[in-house]
Amino acid sequence: MPDRTAFGAYREQVRPEWLDYNGHLNDASYAIVLTRAHELLLEDLGLSAAYRESHGASMFTVEMHLRYLAEVSAGQTLTAATTLVEADRKRLRLHSELYADGVLAATGECLYLHVDTAAGRTVPLPDDRQARVDALRDAHAELARPAHLGLGVGVRP
Amino acid sequence: MTETPGRITTPHEGRLASTWDDAATIDAPLRLHETTAPPEWMDYNDHMSESCFLLAFGDSADAFFRFIGVDEAYRAAGHSLYTSQTHLHHRQEVALGEPLAMTLQLLDLDRRRLHLYHEMRHGETDALIAMAEQLLVHVDTEAGRSVDMPQDLYAHVSAIRQAHAALPQPAVVGHPIAIRHSN
Repeated sequence: MPDRTAFGAYREQVRPEWLDYNGHLNDASYAIVLTRAHELLLEDLGLSAAYRESHGASMFTVEMHLRYLAEVSAGQTLTAATTLVEADRKRLRLHSELYADGVLAATGECLYLHVDTAAGRTVPLPDDRQARVDALRDAHAELARPAHLGLGVGVRP
Repeated sequence: MTETPGRITTPHEGRLASTWDDAATIDAPLRLHETTAPPEWMDYNDHMSESCFLLAFGDSADAFFRFIGVDEAYRAAGHSLYTSQTHLHHRQEVALGEPLAMTLQLLDLDRRRLHLYHEMRHGETDALIAMAEQLLVHVDTEAGRSVDMPQDLYAHVSAIRQAHAALPQPAVVGHPIAIRHSN
């Protein structure tokens, strides 16, 4: 049974190549950080690079929604608290709070499709992976949902 | 300007903002940025990485900033446009060397905020590859808070909004991320 807390394996220093002319983390770099944090959770579910090799299938990002809350500078340590919000046989929805030195710097939400990479179309997860996804979803079911979940761009919670 | 090695740059960086011409026709949507997917944007599958879609949309936004009058000098004087939210939609993969053409539509605005919609299309086939919806805020960078745009900047974006008023509202705008169950 997975932990009944948000997934928090991600921890990394801000890299100089992620900064822009402001000396702050660039907009696009928040997406890099979010992707790296989510990749660790996908790996934990057995749905990352090794799975792609062994099963010829992979999780594709179809949507990503970032809310930028604070600037992030060189030398800060990034961490994430990731929740599996929703899932079915072919789809997975993850939400993360991204922190810089413990201060909430952004939130990011992604929708993934499970895709047969050769056929180029969505297919159901195999049973063993579905069981892991369901177990994590159940473990995260009691976690508080942020107020902005399910709101579009420009809408305030 | 001093170059920090390895940091993110945009192809429009350092280019002076264009001189605004009140009489000029404003494209609807704006077409201010084209590029070719470079090797450094490819992942281990030889497809463009997710974050690089946002780099490309960011480059188009930077071209837009220079179109309305926001360049290095404007930022050095203490104001800038910061991204508050981005919602990306991926429709197709991008391979190395594919020509990419970006469009930009101004959906809405007030004195401090701009609501933008971007499309990335294939430069030859015009196939829709990705979309991005963004909310930008005009900020006083020293004070670190939002402030009204100066009158000339507000006049420029208002003229663009007027030129874009007849464009249809894109279908994805305003929709949150969700697993939409068909049963």
